[in-house]
Amino acid sequence: MPHIEFNTHISGSFNRELQDLRNAVLVMGGEIEQQLLNTLKAMQFNDASLAEKVVLNDVKINGLEIEIDQECLRILATRNPTASDLRLVVTVSKTITDIERMGDEIERVAKLITKGTFQIDEQIKLNTIALGEEIVKMMQKTFDAYARQDVSAALKVYEHDTIIDAKYQHILLLLKERIQQDLTYLDQWLDIMSALRALERIGDRCKNLCEYIIYLAGGQDVRHTNAKKIQKKIKALILA
Amino acid sequence: MKLFNTKRTSLKKLTPDQIAVDIESLSVRLNQKKVLKKISMRIPAFSITSVIGQSGCGKTTLLNAMNRMNEIIPDHQTTGQIWMDGRDINQRRENVSNLRTNVGMVFQRPNPFPMSIYDNVSFGLKLQNKNNRRQLDDAVERALINAALWDEVKQRLHEPAGILSGGQQQRLMIARALALKPKILLLDEPTSALDPLATLFIEELMQSLKKHTTIVMVTHNMQQAARISDYTAFIHKGELVEFTNSDKLFTNPKRKQTEDYITGRYG
Repeated sequence: MPHIEFNTHISGSFNRELQDLRNAVLVMGGEIEQQLLNTLKAMQFNDASLAEKVVLNDVKINGLEIEIDQECLRILATRNPTASDLRLVVTVSKTITDIERMGDEIERVAKLITKGTFQIDEQIKLNTIALGEEIVKMMQKTFDAYARQDVSAALKVYEHDTIIDAKYQHILLLLKERIQQDLTYLDQWLDIMSALRALERIGDRCKNLCEYIIYLAGGQDVRHTNAKKIQKKIKALILA
Repeated sequence: MKLFNTKRTSLKKLTPDQIAVDIESLSVRLNQKKVLKKISMRIPAFSITSVIGQSGCGKTTLLNAMNRMNEIIPDHQTTGQIWMDGRDINQRRENVSNLRTNVGMVFQRPNPFPMSIYDNVSFGLKLQNKNNRRQLDDAVERALINAALWDEVKQRLHEPAGILSGGQQQRLMIARALALKPKILLLDEPTSALDPLATLFIEELMQSLKKHTTIVMVTHNMQQAARISDYTAFIHKGELVEFTNSDKLFTNPKRKQTEDYITGRYG
């Protein structure tokens, strides 16, 4: 499968614009990764001020989304991109929406940390942090795959989501046990449940990004397709 | 954090030293017909400004007004001011020859003189009585390098210009204009007679030229205007409908007429 080169247009300025667009996604990805790391740190040390910082920093993520989206619109209007260039611009536009939503999920968790929600049960907190760390790994692999437009790496990230789901289910079981034992902290348990759901959704968003990478690099639309079929399509792409 | 380097200074925020041409209430009448009606616009320096509009809307007349080329039409009348370097070029005492040295022009179809590549480029300089061989050689080389043509013709400078391809001839015309070191370069549909690849080369050349020259271009190709120009003016029936940053004009035009024209809903 040919690797897409964005620096081979006759127009040097168009090369730079596409390169900048691609890099902008990585910048936004780096920001979101830092947001999640800070959230997990705040959770671990019950650091409400750090969690507050994460909440405030979400404005920056929103700003990045708007700026990158405007650039996509500008390139579409002025450059009339086609083929892989068009796929890049459309993919970036969709990718940043998902990244921004990841930011919203992280903000949701951070807000609960400022309320001290996770202090009621150490075991659940540690398991939630372990889930978060797994998601950080998945996120890093996703952006690595994006940077290299590596379809095989994207597929591996796709499969990583099963680990996330398993951990998520495990914590849900723990949570159910706690709720059955004592209903005194029901509000907090429900908050924790929503935080877990938010973290799990970040994993799903990473999966979405991988679908975009596969579309960008291979031109195959694998949305709403099960993992086995995706695997088949990717093998065909790699052999092509 | 600055992610993109594509933002242009808004026309409203231009400082006087950022303005290359200041047109005030320009009206032009050719053969008893009013072609331009009270056009006012400030063209930013060191940028590419495109003028778009239907055939016969007055685009070329506007371009010609900037180096007084309309005067070659017997029945013409120009009112209003065009300020360049603090002078109104429409004043009677303006030296038209100097003006046309400072404001170069390249036309739709390449029109090399029936002489060598070297002589085509040095023609304007010789007219100015600059005949020192070494200086001419330097000027020709510099102009051809700036027009991105040097590497292709350096071995055959004394061969007839007619042997060059269409794209090369058009770059030769740009070199001919550049040899006189113009402050402003007027391009009247410079790529309409060229194939897509030659067009891209000319567009790339324009991007590098704008670092030290102000470029004003008339084009029928809206995609080209969008692709390479920093600012775009839309003229309709002799009136300036909208003049703004190209990004804004092609993504969110203010006027309905502009929207209709650029989206192909016109007429």
